[in-house]
Amino acid sequence: MSEPILTTRNLTRKFGDFVAVNDVSFSVLRGEIFSLLGPNGAGKTTTISMLSCLIAPTSGDAAIDGHSINGNPNGVKNAIGVVPQEIALYDTLTARQNLNFWGHMSGMSGKALKTRIEEVLEQVELTDRADDKVEAYSGGMKRRINIAVGLLHKPKLLFMDEPTVGIDPQSRRRILDMVSDLRDQGMTVLYTTHYMEEAEELSDRVGIIDHGKLIALGTQKELTKLVGQQESLRLHLGEGITGESVQELFANVDGVLQSNALDGEVILSVTEAATALPGAVTVANANNIRIRSVDIQEPNLEAVFLHLTGRALRD
Amino acid sequence: MHKILSIAWKETIIRFSSRTELLFFLILPIAFTFILSDGLAGDPSEGTQSIELLVVNVDDSELAQTLVDGIDATSAVRVALVSAETAADQFADDATAVLTIPTGFGAAVNAGEAVTLDLQKEPDNNDATIVEQTVNAVIGSLNQPLAIAQAGVAFAEQTQPFADTAARDTFFVATLDRAQTLLADAPSRFVVTKPDGSISEEASFDVTAHQSAGQLVTWVFIPLLGVAAVFAFERNHGTLRRLLTTPTTKATQLLGIVSGHVGHAIVQMLLLMVFGAVVLQVDWGKSPLGLVIMMLSFGLAGVALGTMLGTLIKTTSQASSVAILLGMAMALLGGCWFPLEIFPPAAQTVARFLPTTWAMEGFSNLLAVNTGIDGVLVPAAVLLGFAVVFFGVGVWRFRYE
Ligand SMILES: Nc1ncnc2c1ncn2[C@@H]1O[C@H](COP(=O)(O)OP(=O)(O)OP(=O)(O)O)[C@@H](O)[C@H]1O
Ligand SMILES: [Mg+2]
Repeated sequence: MSEPILTTRNLTRKFGDFVAVNDVSFSVLRGEIFSLLGPNGAGKTTTISMLSCLIAPTSGDAAIDGHSINGNPNGVKNAIGVVPQEIALYDTLTARQNLNFWGHMSGMSGKALKTRIEEVLEQVELTDRADDKVEAYSGGMKRRINIAVGLLHKPKLLFMDEPTVGIDPQSRRRILDMVSDLRDQGMTVLYTTHYMEEAEELSDRVGIIDHGKLIALGTQKELTKLVGQQESLRLHLGEGITGESVQELFANVDGVLQSNALDGEVILSVTEAATALPGAVTVANANNIRIRSVDIQEPNLEAVFLHLTGRALRD
Repeated sequence: MHKILSIAWKETIIRFSSRTELLFFLILPIAFTFILSDGLAGDPSEGTQSIELLVVNVDDSELAQTLVDGIDATSAVRVALVSAETAADQFADDATAVLTIPTGFGAAVNAGEAVTLDLQKEPDNNDATIVEQTVNAVIGSLNQPLAIAQAGVAFAEQTQPFADTAARDTFFVATLDRAQTLLADAPSRFVVTKPDGSISEEASFDVTAHQSAGQLVTWVFIPLLGVAAVFAFERNHGTLRRLLTTPTTKATQLLGIVSGHVGHAIVQMLLLMVFGAVVLQVDWGKSPLGLVIMMLSFGLAGVALGTMLGTLIKTTSQASSVAILLGMAMALLGGCWFPLEIFPPAAQTVARFLPTTWAMEGFSNLLAVNTGIDGVLVPAAVLLGFAVVFFGVGVWRFRYE
């Protein structure tokens, strides 16, 4: 196994009395894609901000490429690339002008920078639009340039903070493929997301974070073991049907271990879908609830999150 | 160093990527300077067709000649001297108007008697109305020097009577001529006398020079305050946060932005000075070293205030409106538009605490008197003092969110 490029020790950040990141310890190994999976407000961005020396930890420390974030922020900054959650570009500049500017800020210059700009433009497939102002770009294109800026100086460790937020499925696909390519090229990535599918598809290892706490960490296989041999049964009931009463109705069905109601659907953790389903249908009929469709899912990260927190990832 | 240049260059592209920026950078300041300094020496209506006025001058006095010359010198009306008969013929035909100066006109005026001039004009004719107004205006402009000349003659007569009428006439015409010259010079120069304790201090103002300096200070100062918007933008768009994740420091960022905008200000000042010098004949070249000192210290004071505002103001649009309002107010109170001397004492005291006042003082000194560098040392020192204080507060409060 390769050695870690990033190690955090008891990283904690408070805003006043509020603990945004609570005693978080984990490592990222060279060459892997490590995902921090967690819902809105879990503390993902706060963690990245501490690791990129933007805000100081209230307590705890982290070492990146051998440099402490508290002791040697400059060493850290030279090792990392950051793709922030927000699109941090000058929209009255062209993509190429943006790349040129950010390249200089990362300490690059001259011919090396020029060549590298062309390379990353190829990589994010925006060479032909490189001389258009960023303000004329679509949301997905802006996201791609936002990523290109982070890649420019070939960082040893790349932070990507929810790089697919707010874009259409097609652009999202493109970005996910790009990240896979990066892994193939040997880049180490710390990726944050609240999409379970992204974490599953991309990562070698996943850390699940909720309310500032790292509640689970491991490969997808290791994590799904936590839920045991459970499957999940997703009942689509139609919009507007939600609430605790529905949740409790299904919780009493035979074979159901846990019941969670979302807007228009109920997710049941079951030992075996085939045995629990008839009971669920009977309960629905008895209560005049119409089931529109049913999904049976193998154990996944969503189920893990549900199992650990009693809540769904997206709420 | 190359990072600072990159940031300054980035600021330049961003600023001038919008065409309207050129409006504020050059076009408006030039337009305002031009209009407020009364434009060029030439007459704006030059080139339009003048109207012919037939003049029958049967008085051979110098005063009659002065009146004729005065009318002819206007742009609206030109004089054709004719005999009474020709005038009558042509007026019956198609001439617009006929002015008759009767015999004894000059003598009567000399004696201070009322005189009647006869102006015949076509009824319901616009040109004739213009002629009438022009003649009235010329007579009006003669009345003032005439009154002065008459008073002069009367005063001289009291002291010592004239030998004969000829001597008296000569004296009258000479006095009138002198009065006219003095009055003609008056509009572009006026003297403000400011009582200061028992000593009366005189300062001479050249309106055109004052406007050239005042508009320069105004229009350079406002965008310098606008640097506040740059900081608001950087904070709100996450670019400052991103920058701080690179091995570039806050100090480099600040230096880059500051040098970029001070650079813009200096280019803008140079262009406006060239305009003032070439088109309005304002003498900006008396002390090049003094100019450099003033441009730098004024640029730094302005950008420092903008930086400080940038840490207090949340959004770019707020920053832009504050820059314009505050810039205008400080320009007005700093005496950039009107001389400070006409302001109430309280306002003059407040003005001592404005960078615009000191900028105006420094630039005016360079224009008005040949003081060389001595005239700018105090203003420049005060401006640099402002810069230190504003930067101090700005850096102390510099945050990335
Ligand atoms: N500067 C701040 N001051 C006060 N509270 C903050 C600050 N920054 C973040 N927080 C709080 O800390 C918590 C974690 O925020 P953070 O941005 O890290 O979440 P996140 O996991 O990135 O969420 P999202 O998916 O919405 O981006 C939130 O409750 C947020 O309100
Ligand atoms: Mg976030």
